[in-house]
Amino acid sequence: MEQSSELTAEVPRAWDRPVVSIPVIAVLSLVGGQLPSFSTAANLYTIGTGGALIWFGLSRRVPRRPTPRRLGDGAVWWIVPVAMFTVVEGATFAMGSTDDFPTFSKLADPVLDGQVTRSAAYFGWLAAFWVLVRR
Amino acid sequence: MSAVRAAVIGGFVVALALFGVLELLARRPGSRIPTFGDVCAYVMQYEVGRVPVGRIGVFGFWWWVGWHFFAR
Repeated sequence: MEQSSELTAEVPRAWDRPVVSIPVIAVLSLVGGQLPSFSTAANLYTIGTGGALIWFGLSRRVPRRPTPRRLGDGAVWWIVPVAMFTVVEGATFAMGSTDDFPTFSKLADPVLDGQVTRSAAYFGWLAAFWVLVRR
Repeated sequence: MSAVRAAVIGGFVVALALFGVLELLARRPGSRIPTFGDVCAYVMQYEVGRVPVGRIGVFGFWWWVGWHFFAR
């Protein structure tokens, strides 16, 4: 007896495709990159974009990629860079984030002063956020 | 630049480089190391009752990172 098989494939929604999501993130990043630190606009914009992404991520409106049931033994390797970053950041923070002991954000401040680098960093933050929302 | 400042910057650079190296190793076929995305996804699936504590924690942390660097 011949069995019929049915193949199904989930078609991504238009706004969920990279050709749509990447330009949207790029425009949001260009706007965010123009807003100076410590301004009300920068606070509202960061809270607004991040809040919207959290809402997407906690609702079921965005399709999610499959989650691994368990992680292999190799996952412990990730402790090395996380611990190293945490130790250096923690030590410099405890030392008061001075010129000799700068925290990561103190080192990043002059880099993020430029609008191009600020927009690029904004793009990285939003793109990573979007990837997390879809996991 | 003082030696201490150089060592601190070196520490950050090595830590970030290790992230990149591990991600490259994880993406090799048959690798036993999960990608960083898989690690995040594993953490994010943690729930207490019906509360997605893992998702809230990871989103909250990443939200704070953006706010800290771009608004503060």
